[in-house]
Amino acid sequence: MKNGALVRLVDVHKTYRTGEMEVPAVCGVSLEIKRGEFVALMGASGSGKSTLMNILGCLDRPTTGSYFLDAADVSGLNRDQLADVRNRKIGFVFQNFNLLPRTSARENAELPLIYGAHGLSHSQLCEKADRVLSSVGLAGREDHHSSQLSGGQQQRVAIARALINDPEMLLADEPTGNLDSRTSVEIMAIFQQLNERGITIVMVTHEQDIAAYAQRNVIMRDGVILDDHLVTQRFEAAAQIQQNGRARPEPARRGEGAPDTHVTM
Amino acid sequence: MRIAPTFHVAYRALRRNKMRSVLTALGIIIGVGAVIAMVGIGNGAKAQVEAQIASLGQNVILIFSGSTTSSGIRTGWGGAGTLKIEDAEAIRREVPSVIGVSEEVVSTTQAAAGNQNWFTRIFGESADYFDIRQWPLSDGAPFTPQDVRSANKVCVIGRTTATQIYGNENPIGQILRIKNVPFTITGVLTPKGLSPQGVDQDDIVVMPYTSAMKRVIGGTTLRNINVQIDDPAQIAPAQQQIISLLRQRHNIRPGRDDDFTVRTQQEIAEAATATSRVMTVLLGAIAGVSLVVGGIGIMNIMLVSVTERTREIGVRMAVGARGTDILTQFLIEAVTLSSVGGLIGIICGIGASSVLSIYAHWPTLISIGSIAIAFLFSAAVGVFFGFYPARKAAALDPIEALRYE
Ligand SMILES: Nc1ncnc2c1ncn2[C@@H]1O[C@H](COP(=O)(O)OP(=O)(O)OP(=O)(O)O)[C@@H](O)[C@H]1O
Ligand SMILES: [Mg+2]
Repeated sequence: MKNGALVRLVDVHKTYRTGEMEVPAVCGVSLEIKRGEFVALMGASGSGKSTLMNILGCLDRPTTGSYFLDAADVSGLNRDQLADVRNRKIGFVFQNFNLLPRTSARENAELPLIYGAHGLSHSQLCEKADRVLSSVGLAGREDHHSSQLSGGQQQRVAIARALINDPEMLLADEPTGNLDSRTSVEIMAIFQQLNERGITIVMVTHEQDIAAYAQRNVIMRDGVILDDHLVTQRFEAAAQIQQNGRARPEPARRGEGAPDTHVTM
Repeated sequence: MRIAPTFHVAYRALRRNKMRSVLTALGIIIGVGAVIAMVGIGNGAKAQVEAQIASLGQNVILIFSGSTTSSGIRTGWGGAGTLKIEDAEAIRREVPSVIGVSEEVVSTTQAAAGNQNWFTRIFGESADYFDIRQWPLSDGAPFTPQDVRSANKVCVIGRTTATQIYGNENPIGQILRIKNVPFTITGVLTPKGLSPQGVDQDDIVVMPYTSAMKRVIGGTTLRNINVQIDDPAQIAPAQQQIISLLRQRHNIRPGRDDDFTVRTQQEIAEAATATSRVMTVLLGAIAGVSLVVGGIGIMNIMLVSVTERTREIGVRMAVGARGTDILTQFLIEAVTLSSVGGLIGIICGIGASSVLSIYAHWPTLISIGSIAIAFLFSAAVGVFFGFYPARKAAALDPIEALRYE
């Protein structure tokens, strides 16, 4: 299965129950994501993107339907088993970064290692954290606390944290939602670079321009998938940065023509 | 395998809120310190009582007139005058293991010398008294059996009585007037200090019981008889022999209560230490309450901390922390607070009780056992009061925790 689907959702439903009310958030989603894909999940507010991401990230279980991650059915796992899957296979990046306060970048990045079976010594942990931090461009910032870092830098720490356990899949729910456009491009550059190294990425975004950095766009509405297509004119974040070194430069295109910015929802 | 880093995390969390951690630990410090000091005071009192019971003498049996349960009513020791001088003589004669007998009568009265007056206790005793009580004289000589037989006007006084009446003068050979009868002082007793009941044992005049009964107190019955036995193994048999001898002499038919009470030193010691044991338990319990209050303080702070750090808990769970990891982390925090507080509390408690014994002259005794128990108990307080908040943290839903504002 190594080259098959990393993620396979089969008729997944998620219904929230608040008192008497039943709120259907995801209503029958079937989706396959192959290893090495870079998917952007889009849709109006309340369409169920975050709910679906939580299921993908093993933070939540579907009400009905099956979820195969790496060919293993994870829809029936208990809390502890899900925690282990998250630790080994999944890295999260959040809109609001979710770094631990008054904690250094290094210690934030190390966090998943505390909860995994790796048998590394303390110095090996530090070394590994520093390596990952420098790979996201934070060399020299290891000892800074989150309050001493810019939003973009904080998001890089969060990415380093997500990467430290070499996950199969990086899940990012609106990773650029709190960042300006220039910083967003920088984060997208990191994502594309990671994706080229083989990491599968699923990213929720509201912005067409951000979705254009992905290979594939999945559009949701009212808990179902409305549209699912490959991006024909993909943005190249690294090239954009190189070209201008400024915020949101003239888009560098991989294909021809305008990016697909007119997806109907 | 995850314990070491979890310790580190807990330690860091405590360091991050230094002031709060210190204040929370303070509750435990005060609680444990109070327990250590209070139990130390209680045990010290108990040890002092035991030492003083031992100073009653060795292998001593006391016989009091009156029964503790005559017709169901406690008349109290010495309540009814049923012990006769002849009873004491019979014991001396017929109980083989007896090596000393002292007939005792007691009164309180005014003693005077020159223009000095002092209200003191008068003990009438036989010449064996000083051996039975193991109470040597610091000066002079005791009265003799001959003095007792002849009811001579001689006496021995305690240190307090001596200083109150004679100041720095040497009282030996001086005349002490008791109820206007002049007694010659032959000796001064070595000081014994306060009794467990707080009575100054050195405020005393000891004279032959014959003189006391004839010249000072009057009456024909003894308050009690002090008996010394040669061998500890003989105490129980001697006690039985004395009981049957006295029943026979007092014509008590089988089935009727004794009109006297025979107590061994052991029994008296047990009765006396029971009181101080109750005191120890009471003091300890009161102090224990403050330890529980300290524990509630830990619980309170841990609950606040769990709420404050809901997001952090969510992040930890998202990156793979299991419920048990979160539980251990918060439990370790609580137990660290309580056991570090416990250690400091032990030091404070030891300090407080030594201050009390140095400045207030209270006897205190702190055993290794009570220190160990205090420490284990404080750790247990951490587990007990930390468990609920920790479990609450562990049961959080990761999604809701991540979304918590
Ligand atoms: N815990 C919950 N309890 C009840 N209803 C919920 C819960 N979480 C989400 N919902 C509901 O499920 C639906 C989908 O929510 P979801 O957060 O997945 O939307 P979204 O697509 O991520 O929206 P946005 O773009 O605003 O983040 C919404 O109608 C929401 O109200
Ligand atoms: Mg959302």
